[in-house]
Amino acid sequence: MQVAELDVRNPSGLHARPAAQFVKTAAAFRSKVSIENLTRGSKPVNAKSLLSVLGCGVENGHRILVSAEGEDEEAAIEAVRKLADGGFGEAVGG
Amino acid sequence: MGTPIAGTPGAAGVAVGPVWRYSAGGTAEAERKPPAAGQPGAASAVQAAALKAAGQLEALAGRVRDLGRPDEAGIFEAQAMMATDPELLDEAVSRVEAGEEPASAVRAAADAAGATLAALPDELLAARAADVRDVGARIVRILLGEEIDLPGVPSVAVADDLPPSVAAEIPPGFLLGVALEGGSITAHAVILARGLGIPAIVGAKGLTAAAASATTAAVDGASGEIVLDPDPGEVAEFAARAAKLAESRRAAAALRGRPGATADGERVALLANIGSPEDAPRALDAGAEGVGLFRTEFLFMKRGTAPAEAEQVAAYAAAFSAFGPERPVVVRLADIGGDKAIPYLDLPAEANPFLGVRAIRLAAHGSRELLLTQLRAIWRAAGRAGVTPHVMAPMVATLDDARLLLELRDEARADAAATGDPLPDGMVTGVMVEIPSAALIAAELARIVDFFSIGTNDLTQYTMAADRGNPALGHLQDALHPAVLRLIRDVVAGADGSHIPVAVCGELAGDPAGALVLVGLGVDELSADAGSLDGIRAALAAVTRAELDDLAGRALAAGDAETVRAMARQLLDRPGRALDGPDRTSME
Repeated sequence: MQVAELDVRNPSGLHARPAAQFVKTAAAFRSKVSIENLTRGSKPVNAKSLLSVLGCGVENGHRILVSAEGEDEEAAIEAVRKLADGGFGEAVGG
Repeated sequence: MGTPIAGTPGAAGVAVGPVWRYSAGGTAEAERKPPAAGQPGAASAVQAAALKAAGQLEALAGRVRDLGRPDEAGIFEAQAMMATDPELLDEAVSRVEAGEEPASAVRAAADAAGATLAALPDELLAARAADVRDVGARIVRILLGEEIDLPGVPSVAVADDLPPSVAAEIPPGFLLGVALEGGSITAHAVILARGLGIPAIVGAKGLTAAAASATTAAVDGASGEIVLDPDPGEVAEFAARAAKLAESRRAAAALRGRPGATADGERVALLANIGSPEDAPRALDAGAEGVGLFRTEFLFMKRGTAPAEAEQVAAYAAAFSAFGPERPVVVRLADIGGDKAIPYLDLPAEANPFLGVRAIRLAAHGSRELLLTQLRAIWRAAGRAGVTPHVMAPMVATLDDARLLLELRDEARADAAATGDPLPDGMVTGVMVEIPSAALIAAELARIVDFFSIGTNDLTQYTMAADRGNPALGHLQDALHPAVLRLIRDVVAGADGSHIPVAVCGELAGDPAGALVLVGLGVDELSADAGSLDGIRAALAAVTRAELDDLAGRALAAGDAETVRAMARQLLDRPGRALDGPDRTSME
């Protein structure tokens, strides 16, 4: 299993478009991918489900834990990390 | 010969095409039932319906994106993902496997997902809760065979009424015209048709019954004529009208680069009404010289808490920047009140919310901060965009209301200055004239404000004591009634005493006949939907000041709205001219 702890720094957190980007990225891999909101202390949920990801209530400034388990787990975590670095497709700051 | 049916003109245009019938109960042809609970295939029926819903939503997102509405497209894209969400489907399928009916299983799964989102502290997620319930409803409609059977070829829509949700699903180019048995000229479908430049006819008695077996229809939105199953001669006649109209529209569009003016050169500023910053490109394409009405309710509705100042600054700055310093944008302060449930305002229910605590009246009833925040955001947005802000307050009835607006404006500027942001020196501050009392004290109001903007829809409703939304009172909703026109004349006279401009931002301003009467009465600026600007620009360019003075004089002395409209039509339709505009000769 591969894990990554990431800080969410884009203005709208994991809502709307950034959440969709995150889910699309996770769904592109065969591995089981899950996400938990460390700031809120929520349980891990299916990262390939937009409803579950929205339900984590991840806001700007929150810290999340993403884990992947399966044949392409390393690539999955790498892709999620890259997405987070890019602000989940949204300009960071502002 | 085909079957002729007469209706009330709603939007100008001519179309001939196949009939597409819509009825609110869903179309009977699509009737089919999903396998019942426990039967083999029940779970896969849910999966198939979910996939179909996702496909519809993706297609909808693409169409809306092509129309230049990226934010709406984003919502439909998210809904498409929700439709095939693995957790949602797992929940629905396990309910079906436990013996629940497919439709009720989907509904329960969507409601549970919605409840989870609604329970989160973030107000933005409350809106997503409604989205997931809407997705559930769509899958259920597909399961029950109740989905709307959209036209597969460009068609003329024939219905009792065409609700906005249905109209939005029809692909652009597939709606040739709209013919309604019910509806009024302010119906959503009519406004949509005007924006698209296609014909709309309302109040066509006997239409749905007569059209039950019709295959084609010819409609003329300017005359209100409908012909079901027209013969070849009738088709040729409507085609000739369509060609003539297309020619006059081309001629009108050719004037787009020019500012609005009469034939003898008197300037009349032609502005657009917008409902969000995303409407800006369409308005600029139509040659708008600015915005006479920027409705800000989109920021305040459908949410659990008041919009933050920063969110408002971003929205106003986006609109100001799109139009730039040469094209003023008049921001209307939030026109909200008890007619819509706004949870964060905690307004008591009222028997007559349009005669109640709304808009500027909120300031004296516990919501002063709401208006101050909006004004601070406008000051800061104007500073950011480098423009002079223009603001107007709706529901002004008294001099004290206007004084309160000026006081709030100055207090907001002092607060905003404390943030250290650059601010413009002044704010052009006006009031809407939509309450008869404001029209009657226009001279006094004009001494303290910078401009008037007449909202003809509300001014008519309050003058005639006739609810805008009540189709039974259609004959009392025509703003060309001489009683309303005399109030407008008084507003212009009051404004002239202090040399301030008068704009009109109601539906009447976008109707070529109405525009001629208004300019005749001395109105300086007209603000309308972007789709109406070509028509009023061309109408004004063909008449002189003297002709408009003469028209206004006769209109003020007329006995009813129909007579006034006929007078204006006569000027529009005189020989040698072919103008495009809704001809609403009859309000019956």
